[in-house]
Amino acid sequence: MSYYLGVDIGSVSSNFVLIDELSNVLEKIYMRTEGNPVKAVKQGYKELMEKMNGKVSIQGVGTTGSGRHLADIILGADVVKNEITAHAVAASFFHPDARTIIEIGGQDSKMIILQDAIVSDFAMNTVCAAGTGSFLDQQASRLNILIQDFGPAALKSKQPVRIAGRCGVFAESDMIHKQQMGYPLEDILMGLCEALVRNYLNNVGKGKKIESPVIFQGGVAANAGLKRAFEKILQMEIKVPPYHDVMGAVGAAILAREYIEEHQCASVFKGDSFITEGQFNSSSFECQGCPNMCEVVCIRRDKEALAYWGDRCKRWETSIGHKEVG
Amino acid sequence: MNKIGMPRGLFYYYYYPLYKTFFSDLDARVILSQKTTRITIDQGIDAAVDETCFPIKVYFGHVKELCRYDLDYLFVPRLVSIEPRSYICPKFMGVPDMLRASIDNLPPLIDITVDLSRSDRVYKDQLFKTGKLFTKKTGRIKDAYEHGKQELAYCQAIAAQGYTMAEAIDIWQGEDIEQQLNGSLRIGVLGHGYSLYDEAISMNIISRLRQMGCTVVLPEALSLEEIEQEAATMPKRIFWTLGRKMVGSALKMEKMADIDGIIYVACFGCGPDSFIGEIIERKVSDKAYMLIIIDEHTGEGGLVTRLEAFCDMLKRRRRHKIEDYISAYG
Repeated sequence: MSYYLGVDIGSVSSNFVLIDELSNVLEKIYMRTEGNPVKAVKQGYKELMEKMNGKVSIQGVGTTGSGRHLADIILGADVVKNEITAHAVAASFFHPDARTIIEIGGQDSKMIILQDAIVSDFAMNTVCAAGTGSFLDQQASRLNILIQDFGPAALKSKQPVRIAGRCGVFAESDMIHKQQMGYPLEDILMGLCEALVRNYLNNVGKGKKIESPVIFQGGVAANAGLKRAFEKILQMEIKVPPYHDVMGAVGAAILAREYIEEHQCASVFKGDSFITEGQFNSSSFECQGCPNMCEVVCIRRDKEALAYWGDRCKRWETSIGHKEVG
Repeated sequence: MNKIGMPRGLFYYYYYPLYKTFFSDLDARVILSQKTTRITIDQGIDAAVDETCFPIKVYFGHVKELCRYDLDYLFVPRLVSIEPRSYICPKFMGVPDMLRASIDNLPPLIDITVDLSRSDRVYKDQLFKTGKLFTKKTGRIKDAYEHGKQELAYCQAIAAQGYTMAEAIDIWQGEDIEQQLNGSLRIGVLGHGYSLYDEAISMNIISRLRQMGCTVVLPEALSLEEIEQEAATMPKRIFWTLGRKMVGSALKMEKMADIDGIIYVACFGCGPDSFIGEIIERKVSDKAYMLIIIDEHTGEGGLVTRLEAFCDMLKRRRRHKIEDYISAYG
């Protein structure tokens, strides 16, 4: 049996999936990155292998997410792809008829418009991360509820309160105000959901024609309150696919499978012992080569330097036989 | 010999050959600040008012660098308008005053007012007075200016062959730069030259695209008449010079069959761009369009992700089109 590994290292969560040659998802792991992507890659891989009882031979690896290059260094990836392409590939695999993909992750939110299963347009939030998963996380912990309970609690609301969603800071002060006035928690939560949806549609969805079927994915899609808010505001049915939280990883795995099948080549996957046995660590320093003073990061396995990046002139990056990333 | 400092920022990218020639012909030595580095940026942010846009802050950094040299003059023209009935962003008008207010030990400024909105009389007059600082012969001043204009036209002709203005200036000064025009995708890239062609401000967006296998098409490669013609189709004339050029270029590029997509690079704090980026987004319906907003952040991840996704989208689309063609007619 041939297996393909897909890894999505995001700002908040790290996801791992194994698919077979028909792109069926065999196993998935969703875990928190907790600010340490190196540890997350190693641990996620270990857990996945334990779940499969170690009896798998991996034919190809794809990585995506903001930590995709890091994951590539540790695992050895055949395909290193940006998350927009990965999400689109996964969504169009599960829902070939999908027209609009709403994807809200930890730090970014995207909208992808598909036509005949091909990306025809996309948009991503600009500099501001208001209304993404990490903001919801922060608010949940401020209100002392588990993020898992956020959605069910919001669904109990009958009369959501109005909250400004333009900016995370304004939203928070609005929420505190409403909370101190005595509005019930569920109405505040649902109000926040609706505010985020309005913000998303005004910011990311600006000028885009949203056509059904609409797929809602990303970690935030687990929040039933947001799904309801989208349905209410868009007046459309919103589908949350079964592997919504790991769609990026699924897309990366599918891309890896396509790549290996197309090129008929062996994977550059580094193998069990490389990943599980060595000590990976990273360090950074300010390069003194020129006045740019780039912050260069070095990834090491035990004492061996695997990769450098962050330098504008690429003098460090190219100092190691490092393959072109893209 | 008089030493004149010129900051490598803002309208450097549009006019450097003109003024460099002008002053050199009058036997002055032009000292240009270095390419923007981390230090330039840090010093600029430190010195400038925080309400200004990023390129102006960087310009302040360049001025700070030049202040370290022993200069006779610092050339910071007060740009109001560079063509009839059109204007440059009002922040540019205040640059010499802002510099005086926020930087001590400035060398004497040559801050001639460039305002061609009604006539070029005042501008010529001031330029002439500036020339008088270096020579008594009026004929020489006139010749130097005419020569400057020629050199500028020559430099613009270099840029029209597919170079950025920054590269064109380097070539004009004798450097050898290879043309990169054989990418598999052709992408039109628009934006104010002082953000687009400064590698530090634009986070190298043009070389990144080229590395991803794209040929970059810039407004300088289009004919001015065509740009103006397209811009004139707007219901109301856009009175910002650069904004109008961008809208015209975008509309022109939309009609060019060999261009796959258009990227607009705007600065976060730019007033005119907040309109222009929007207008282009609404007008360009036939081509893939992406607006990229840049600011002081150094995290390049977001930029790279967007560029990659944009290129992937165009490549996949094109492949899809070819497959369609085969299935329908093959």
